Amino acid sequence: MEPILTLDTVSYRYEDTWAIQGVRLEVGARELVGILGPNGSGKSTLLKIMGGLLKPESGAVLYAGRPVAAFKRRELAQKIAFVAQEHAFRFSFSVLEVVLMGRSPHLKRLQFESERDLEIALQALRTVDAERLAARSIHELSGGEKQRVLIARALAQDPEIILLDEPTAFLDIKYKMEIFELISSLVRDKQVSVVAVTHDIDLAALYCNRLVILENGRLFSAGTPAEVVTSEGISAAYDCRVLVDRNPATGAPRVSLVGRAGRCTGGPACGKAPSTAY
Amino acid sequence: MILHRRVTPGKVVFISMVMTGILAGAILFSLWLGTADIPFSALCRTLLGESTGGTTELIVLKVRLPRVLLAGLVGFALSLGGAVFQALLRNPLAEPFILGVSSGAALGAIIGIMLGFSFQFGIPAFSFAGALVTILLVLLLGTRRMGMESSTILLTGVIINAFFTAVIMFFVSTSTDSRLHTMLFWLYGDLSQSHFGQSALIAPVVILAAVVLYGFGRDLNLMTLGDEAACHMGVDVERTKIHCFLLVSLMTGLVVSLSGLIGFVGLIVPHLARMAFGPDHRLLIPVSAIGGAVLLIVCDTFARWVVSPSELPVGVVTAFLGAPFFMILLRTRGSQWNRS
Amino acid sequence: MLSSRSLFIGLFILVAFMARPASAGAFRDALGRTVTLDGPPRRIVSLAPSITEILYFLGLGERVAGVTQYSTYPPAALGKPKVGSYVNLNIERIISLAPDLVIATVDGNSRSVIETLEAAGIQVFTTNPRNLFEALDTIALLGQVCGATRDGAAAAEALKVRAEDVAEKVRGLPRPKVFVQINLRPIMTVNRDTFLNDLITLAGGSNPFSEEPFAYPRISLEEVIRQRPDVILVSSMDRGGRFEEARREWLRLEDIPAARNGRVHLIDSDLVDRPSPRIVDGLEEAARFIHPEIPWERP
Repeated sequence: MEPILTLDTVSYRYEDTWAIQGVRLEVGARELVGILGPNGSGKSTLLKIMGGLLKPESGAVLYAGRPVAAFKRRELAQKIAFVAQEHAFRFSFSVLEVVLMGRSPHLKRLQFESERDLEIALQALRTVDAERLAARSIHELSGGEKQRVLIARALAQDPEIILLDEPTAFLDIKYKMEIFELISSLVRDKQVSVVAVTHDIDLAALYCNRLVILENGRLFSAGTPAEVVTSEGISAAYDCRVLVDRNPATGAPRVSLVGRAGRCTGGPACGKAPSTAY
Repeated sequence: MILHRRVTPGKVVFISMVMTGILAGAILFSLWLGTADIPFSALCRTLLGESTGGTTELIVLKVRLPRVLLAGLVGFALSLGGAVFQALLRNPLAEPFILGVSSGAALGAIIGIMLGFSFQFGIPAFSFAGALVTILLVLLLGTRRMGMESSTILLTGVIINAFFTAVIMFFVSTSTDSRLHTMLFWLYGDLSQSHFGQSALIAPVVILAAVVLYGFGRDLNLMTLGDEAACHMGVDVERTKIHCFLLVSLMTGLVVSLSGLIGFVGLIVPHLARMAFGPDHRLLIPVSAIGGAVLLIVCDTFARWVVSPSELPVGVVTAFLGAPFFMILLRTRGSQWNRS
Repeated sequence: MLSSRSLFIGLFILVAFMARPASAGAFRDALGRTVTLDGPPRRIVSLAPSITEILYFLGLGERVAGVTQYSTYPPAALGKPKVGSYVNLNIERIISLAPDLVIATVDGNSRSVIETLEAAGIQVFTTNPRNLFEALDTIALLGQVCGATRDGAAAAEALKVRAEDVAEKVRGLPRPKVFVQINLRPIMTVNRDTFLNDLITLAGGSNPFSEEPFAYPRISLEEVIRQRPDVILVSSMDRGGRFEEARREWLRLEDIPAARNGRVHLIDSDLVDRPSPRIVDGLEEAARFIHPEIPWERP
């Protein structure tokens, strides 16, 4: 199947530091791809490169075979939607107005939103189960509600691929679940692909089709959750000892923290033997 | 059926028409009130072209009318500029003077006054030249490889304002008595002795700029979400910033060269408009612009009336609006300033 | 034994003493202080342009040791050492010129400067003429204080005659309304506490704003139109271009009598707002504008 988004040996640097080096990645249709990695590994940067916001020093970013740089901004926005990690709403737009903004890439300069655009926006709100919030001011919403509204906005863009930068960052476990459920259902039912940068290894392992771990700007590992989420893999990437086993309820990989220098309390399921005594 | 707020073309047209009606009322009111008592009927007849006797005609057509029109034009431009800058800089405290164009214009005018140029053409020309120089400076100093970052450009504005203000203070402190009065009067913002000719010259440019800026309405909505977010939704952020900055600065430079520094209008009116009609710029822009015209006409009328037969510079009246406005803002929306 | 010859010599000496300029002695200044001088002051510092003019008028030019920055008349004064502007005096400079008399104005020079100079042991004589005739009296008085020749008093007297002549010629005539504009933007005029107003009155005109509470009130354009002045006098230090512009502005407003009849004139502010000898020139010029129907003799 033709990948929607291709990163071919992409490298990027800020000033003198190489934030991304030689990353190859493909995202196909109807895939939920999770990007994991420690802080500072370049996950957000990678996502921005995928979204066309940052231009790589070397390598190519292709959308359906065409270089992203060849697209006009508006055109690209009709294909790729981006939901950032933090949102500052300086002015109090209503929820509906925010979601309607997602229709902008499809409108000409002086064109106003039509009935059809309105319907698309409402439908997007329905999909994220936030239709009842439509008339509220965006400032009044809780973190979880805001996140859903922004995903609705991304949906309203009618894109082929949605990029999410830590969508569950400030949410409690219930909302974390909800968000992952939501994006998983989007991939299933709405025929979009989603790439999500996240720290929630368990949830990513549970919901994503594929996972990628970034470490120090390089691709550390890539593959199915089972392949990527292993004790050795996670411990090495995050530089912290973990134990990975199976979640008895879901069958997905489950990550448990063990401690920095491998202070294991014993038991056969322990990982490697402690290297040095403290 | 969900009750929701959104801006439609119908809404924009309707509200604009209502505001224009209010503007017409304000104009009539301002023409009627003044040092000389002119009965309303005489006013109407004069405006309709009938001859009503020397003094009335003279005062209404040659003294008050040009002044009211200029007040409207200046209020229009400054409020529109304020709304756009508040979006561009994502800062509710922004107004068209924040980037220094006004102090450049002021310095130009001060120099023109010192060199003895005429009030009708020389001084406005110098003032506008000062504004242009400042625009260039801001572009040179405030933009980088990455383009116009709002924090950088705000700082640039502060620096330019500080420098030009220092130079102005120097000139004011070393000037002689009669020049001093003239300089201070200009700096406080004054609309007396306005001319049709001047307003007629700049009005088309201001209106044209306003129309172009209206076209950026939706983009400005998106820009309030942040450069990156706007970019991801298809806005050419750099182009939008530069074009809007140039258009607003041009408008501001033009009106300031005729009116002096009339502060607070560009700050207050967009806020009031937003409180009444919401933050969507496709409605905010016309409401701010027309509302600004109304406000300044009313302020100027008050300036003419309150110490009659003398008159206050209108900038003094608008300055008095500042503190109570911020008070209200703080009380009603204090919590929102802290939201991220 | 008194011979007629010794009597004659004695009389001669006595007369010679009496004929000496009466500049030794005590003089009361405008602040009621007494200034005592032993002889004619040889180094005089003037703290106002008008005083500089008076000193030169009295023939005391060589004895002037220092003048203010804007003492531009007569041209000879331009070469004298400067002591700052009359609102912003440089005390050190004044003291360093070692004057034996400093002449100041009550209205204009600051009291603290006067007091500081006196504390430094320098004699300060203050003047405060409030109208034209008081200005002429001041000229005569300064002539006495500084030991000018008797020409001083005579010259002051001649000026008085000219002024009275003007007042006489306009006596009984109807007084046209004269709007005096001393600043273009904002429009400023004068009230009755000013020299200009005194001149207008003496020259046979009437100032519609004489009862305003402030000396230099700002007036709106509408109000000026409402008053319908017969003559507009623009007294401004800005000559040339700005006056032409101001004139055009006024002439546009055809409903005002002054505009209709083209009676908008520029008057040199140096002639009309300084209590100096030239104020009489100013008076005559104003009178020519206000009452052109009188056959004035051209100077």
